[in-house]
Amino acid sequence: MGPLPYDISGIALLYIEDESEARSMVSKMLAMNYPKLKLYEAENGAVGLELYREHLPEMVMTDINMPVMDGISMSRAIKAINPEASIIAVTAHSDTSYLLNAIEIGIHHYILKPINYQELFSITDKILEQIVLKRLLAEQNRRLVESERQLAGAQRIAHLGSWQLDLPVGSMKWSDELYRIFGIEPGSIPPAYQAFLEKFVPDDRKAVEKAIEDAERSRQPAAAQFCDILRPDGSLRTLQVEVDVILTGAGVPATIIGTSHDVTDLKQAEEKVHILTEELERRVVQRTSLLQASVKELETFSYFVSHDLRAPVARLEGLCRALLEDCGSCGNDGCKVYAERAERVVRQIKQIIDAFNNLSHFATCKLVIEDVDLSAVVRGIASGLQQTEPGREVDFVIARDRMVMGDPRLLHIAMEHLIGNAWKFTSKTAKARIEFGCSELPGTSVYFVRDNGAGFNMKYIDKLFKPFQTIHSPGEYNWNGTAIGLATVHSIILRHGGRIWAEGETGQGATFYFTLEENPEPGKLYGSRVKGEDDL
Amino acid sequence: MAESYIVLIEDNPDDAFLASRIIGKVCTDRIIIARDGEEASELLKIMAEDETYKQIRLVLLDLKLPKVSGIEVLQGIRASAVLQGLPVVVLTSSDNDIDQERCRELDVVDYIFKPMTADRLQRVLSRDKDA
Repeated sequence: MGPLPYDISGIALLYIEDESEARSMVSKMLAMNYPKLKLYEAENGAVGLELYREHLPEMVMTDINMPVMDGISMSRAIKAINPEASIIAVTAHSDTSYLLNAIEIGIHHYILKPINYQELFSITDKILEQIVLKRLLAEQNRRLVESERQLAGAQRIAHLGSWQLDLPVGSMKWSDELYRIFGIEPGSIPPAYQAFLEKFVPDDRKAVEKAIEDAERSRQPAAAQFCDILRPDGSLRTLQVEVDVILTGAGVPATIIGTSHDVTDLKQAEEKVHILTEELERRVVQRTSLLQASVKELETFSYFVSHDLRAPVARLEGLCRALLEDCGSCGNDGCKVYAERAERVVRQIKQIIDAFNNLSHFATCKLVIEDVDLSAVVRGIASGLQQTEPGREVDFVIARDRMVMGDPRLLHIAMEHLIGNAWKFTSKTAKARIEFGCSELPGTSVYFVRDNGAGFNMKYIDKLFKPFQTIHSPGEYNWNGTAIGLATVHSIILRHGGRIWAEGETGQGATFYFTLEENPEPGKLYGSRVKGEDDL
Repeated sequence: MAESYIVLIEDNPDDAFLASRIIGKVCTDRIIIARDGEEASELLKIMAEDETYKQIRLVLLDLKLPKVSGIEVLQGIRASAVLQGLPVVVLTSSDNDIDQERCRELDVVDYIFKPMTADRLQRVLSRDKDA
């Protein structure tokens, strides 16, 4: 016989026969014909039952008349263990009492002694086929149960109920989750179309009906958006109803299938997000107007300084000059000296006013954002400084190709102050060295300007970036009298969305670090004000 | 030859004093002072009618004036068929670019930041003479 058309691996057969010669002969034939079949042998019913208990083989082939325990008793015991066991009786008896017993027990296959192998194989084939089919069926069944379980689980998780409507009869099927969405126990009421429609609030019922009718008429999917249902407990839920149609072979609509998605939580979450977004926007507006108010105040103040304050200062300057010119001959030397000193004070006031105006300009002006080669900017500043003081030997170390986004004019001013400071404070250093570089940290580039000059005491760090505050004495390092350099740098870096900080030690040099926003916003905080409009 | 005038339009007494002092150092012209824009406009209108405007050598104009601003006075001068050729010098203490631009458009002789010096006024008057 040829190989079986199905896989029998894993199937076992227990063979019980007290005549050892016959047993070994039959076993050999079975092993030859079914190489994949696992074979257990026993010489009587008792041993056979023992082996059965141990291995639970799918098939049993047994002699009837045996010592210790006969085949019928053993078969009864086996059937008690597993009613599904397939048992073949091998018998010389044509005794009807045996046969009736055997039938009663559930033995359905017989082979008469002496064994005809053709017959043995034919019966074995048939049983094996049944076993294999049963196995397949069980596997299919298991998968079906599993996927139904998964579907139900998925429906429950997704709050997605499904239903179908048989068109000719008008009968319906509802999934368990649909019942749950309706707020009732699965299977607790018959799934009727009218009951289905009545779950929806009257206003939305028509929309659902229309979707179903549309699908049937057009033979196309249809949907009803956000229909409310009323649960028995009085709560309202919002459903998204999707409908599709299944056609018969002849193209006639046979079944409407639909899903009902409970989107109440989604809608509520959406609503919450909406409310939060509105709240956030409201706060942004509030913050912005606060910010606008303080910027406006700053501008008003700076306008006051640049216009209203300049007039009396100019007046004072004129009076000092008049004093100098007209009182030279009054005989009192003090007059001239006082007038000269007063004029110097006036010049200082004017410098401070200019510095203040510059500072407030950087804080509020609109940025022109472009690609800026910071390395090239620094190189230009360095060579400019070297030209102004050709006698000084300063070792400049400038990192190459540091491209940033920013306002070229403002960034140039910032770098001018930083490099200029380094230049100024290394004027008394033997081997002066000024470095511009960049450290790449995760997500950000930190630029730095480092020198080995005078440095500063870290206890003054808080004063460093504040305008009109200095940590060096007047006259020391050509201090210009206004001390807004680092405050200007600070303001420019802030405008570019960055941060600036410094490290230093007296006599050991200073390092200024700063970051820049990759894509800074050019925007002024509010519409540009026309300078001098109050003059007109 | 008839006496020539310098018209000083200035509201602040100290500034008026300082400007008069400088004018006195540079020339012997008679100084006529207007204390605000309105007064200046009326003064110039009268001088236009009685033709004394012809004796005006220079108008020194402060921009920040009560009532009528300096720019408006200047616009009035330039809009007048009679007065439009008057040499006007602006005196200011503000560094407003827009004001400067407008004054250039209105054809001022000079734009001087306060305090005015004798040298500066001298330069203006000599240029006026050359022209």
